[in-house]
Amino acid sequence: MNHAFLHNATQAGLALARQALLLAGIAIAVFLLIRIVPGDVVDAMALEGSLDEEAIADLRADLGLDAGALTQFRIWAGRALGGDFGMSLRFDRPVSELILAALPTTLILAVLALSAGLALGVGLATAAVLWPRSPLPALVEALNLWSIALPTFCVGLASILLFSVGLGWLPVIGQWLSPVLILAIDNAGQVVKPLHEDLKEAATASHIRTARAKGLSPARIVLRHLLPNALTTVVALGGMILAGMIGGALTMEVLFGLPGLGTLAFQAISGRDYPVIQAVVLVFAAGVVVVNGLADLAQRALDPRLRR
Amino acid sequence: MTDVPLNLLRRHLLLGGAALALPASALAQAAPRAGTLKVAFLGLDTSDPHRHTGSIAVQQVYVETLTSIADDGTVKPFLATAWEISPDGKRYTFTIREGVRFHNGRLLTAEDVRANAVRVRDQVRGGWLSAPMRLVDTLEAPDARTFVMTMKEPYGPLLNLLSELWIVAPESEGWAQTIRQPIGTGPFRFGRWQPNVSFHAPAFAQYWQPGLPRAAAVEFSLRDASDLSLALRAGDLHIARVGYDKLASVRADPNLEVQFMKDTTWWFWSFNNRNPRPPFNDVRVRQAVSFMLDKPAFMRFVAGEAGVVTNQMAAPGQFFWDKAMHDADAHAAPNEDRARALLREAGVNPANTPCRIVSWQSAYAEIAVQAMRKLGFQVEHLALDDIGAQRRLGQYDWDLAPFASGPRADIFLRFVRLMSDGPNVGLWGGTRDAEFDRLVRSAIASVDLDQRRRLYLAAWQRALDNYYTVVIGHAPEPIVNRREVTGYAPGFTWGQHRVDGGLAFGALAARG
Repeated sequence: MNHAFLHNATQAGLALARQALLLAGIAIAVFLLIRIVPGDVVDAMALEGSLDEEAIADLRADLGLDAGALTQFRIWAGRALGGDFGMSLRFDRPVSELILAALPTTLILAVLALSAGLALGVGLATAAVLWPRSPLPALVEALNLWSIALPTFCVGLASILLFSVGLGWLPVIGQWLSPVLILAIDNAGQVVKPLHEDLKEAATASHIRTARAKGLSPARIVLRHLLPNALTTVVALGGMILAGMIGGALTMEVLFGLPGLGTLAFQAISGRDYPVIQAVVLVFAAGVVVVNGLADLAQRALDPRLRR
Repeated sequence: MTDVPLNLLRRHLLLGGAALALPASALAQAAPRAGTLKVAFLGLDTSDPHRHTGSIAVQQVYVETLTSIADDGTVKPFLATAWEISPDGKRYTFTIREGVRFHNGRLLTAEDVRANAVRVRDQVRGGWLSAPMRLVDTLEAPDARTFVMTMKEPYGPLLNLLSELWIVAPESEGWAQTIRQPIGTGPFRFGRWQPNVSFHAPAFAQYWQPGLPRAAAVEFSLRDASDLSLALRAGDLHIARVGYDKLASVRADPNLEVQFMKDTTWWFWSFNNRNPRPPFNDVRVRQAVSFMLDKPAFMRFVAGEAGVVTNQMAAPGQFFWDKAMHDADAHAAPNEDRARALLREAGVNPANTPCRIVSWQSAYAEIAVQAMRKLGFQVEHLALDDIGAQRRLGQYDWDLAPFASGPRADIFLRFVRLMSDGPNVGLWGGTRDAEFDRLVRSAIASVDLDQRRRLYLAAWQRALDNYYTVVIGHAPEPIVNRREVTGYAPGFTWGQHRVDGGLAFGALAARG
């Protein structure tokens, strides 16, 4: 018992250490990469606020941008480990305040789009297995192709032109319906095909044949015997989609003017607001790590084979 | 085009027109405030009006200034009802308007104005006011209605530049460091600000201009959107800036109306003047490059019918523009043969000559690239975003830079960009010319407007002769509003609140 506990604790500790190392690596990479991009926030201020060369040098010194990259990283990392992401160079406001203001938008968008996407994907895949001779399997293929072939920003632009400008049904700025639906359809397209394949393959298993032989209805077979086994696929795909969407919702946020983390990151990059970029990327990365971890745990809970 | 009569400018320079102190708001009807004007112009970078870096379009609705740039580009009284300038041009005595209340209900005094000037002088680095603030000798408030600013030497653009010295109540939160919640005197109050997203400013019920503001609130969209025409057409925005390339679609929409700002944006090709690489340090090569410029085609490309061709920083018709100089423009039309002859004369074989062009990611930069390729140069084009270009320009390792610059409260703010110690000089090649500096300094020190004009033009002639930068032309920025907006017209600069117009005058009529 103690041995097993120690083993599990060691494994968990190692997993946590791996994730911490991953986050540290991401933090270092982002810190260096954004400094390769030409120009900094003082250049932005000089451009807009007409600073002379003396004022530019003074501002760089004030903001700590004249120090070496190593010194800057040491200072930033020291504060970040203490939970202090510093101040936005552009807006002179705490970075944590900006992130906390943006986080709910991204989370709500991601959760709504994922829930709607999974519901559509699972529902369609299940229905396509139940009625294999209907047009539903073709619809599975079409939805999957839609998701692969049509970038969400293209669909977003088309929806603005059609529903906002053309028909006048929806506003352009700050509306949720279009981005949630576009992302949901995209997510459904990613889930529906592999799930449909899984369900079709599982339908040939011996225990399903037995269930059929016992006279169970197709709906009962799917709901009681096929879907529970396919849930691991759904969870794995859902985890991947959600992790991707934490950053992937960026285009929808920017296009529809939703003030989420994607918009914050996009504008921070445009304005070279280093502390904001670093913090947002860390939040994204931490979100991916957490979602992947939760998806792993859920898969283990759902599939006893993974616990062996 | 803006046409500023000489006599009008002189009168305002020497004596703040008390007679003009009656604001146009007197004409505004006392109607109940209704509706939220949804607008999008430029961004808001800081809640501290003294530290703004280009937030003029937003912050001017909640903080005001002693002077205001009127639609015709002249200076008019605003929080000051009048001013007097001593004969030596050094002492400015302002009469502060009575009955002006801050958003916390307290009355504005001359001491508040002095405190703001001291704060800008002592705490703010950079910005348009940094140069005059270095020349301030004393700042005094001898009584509640009088503010006196004494300069060490005459400073002609001061009244215009004071249109950007925003007056904030010193009790505003963060006054000692960064103002977080500015308490101004404007027609709208500082409300909810979500950086890069939106800024909501409710109307100030005790605003000093009767009947204003006419809207219950104004909401700025601060989102970084390059094309606002769709939001205008969909009705999400009531007023917004729109690119020239969208004008056709906007004009086709019966719900939208196109207006233009009163001052212009101007386009130019700059040479590297700080550290020019051969052969671009040879004025004949610069001439050759300039002969490849098809100015009329360029202006048609960037601004359509709104564009005008000239060779000066002031737009045709403006006071500091000169017709004789305009008529003498050797580059009014392209001349490829002359360009090639000049290169031969300078002994330059363009096929063996690299030419590095730095630009924003603007389509018009390609015109410079194609012109130089046509002339045979080995072109390396670095098209960067605005911040990247700013950094690269400051490295002075390039040869040609096609850029544009927007409206300004005073012509000095254009000339200063070619001065050795000027702000943000990279776009104009970092010129260092002591004689040019002397001429501009003499111009701003001149209390006689005609003499100032002569000196500015002499400085500009020097810039033309040395081919520091080649002006292509001007065009006013289009501002589009939905037709349900009444009373709004864009002004001379990006500022959206002025004594005779702006958002305070805008109202929403019922949508038809």
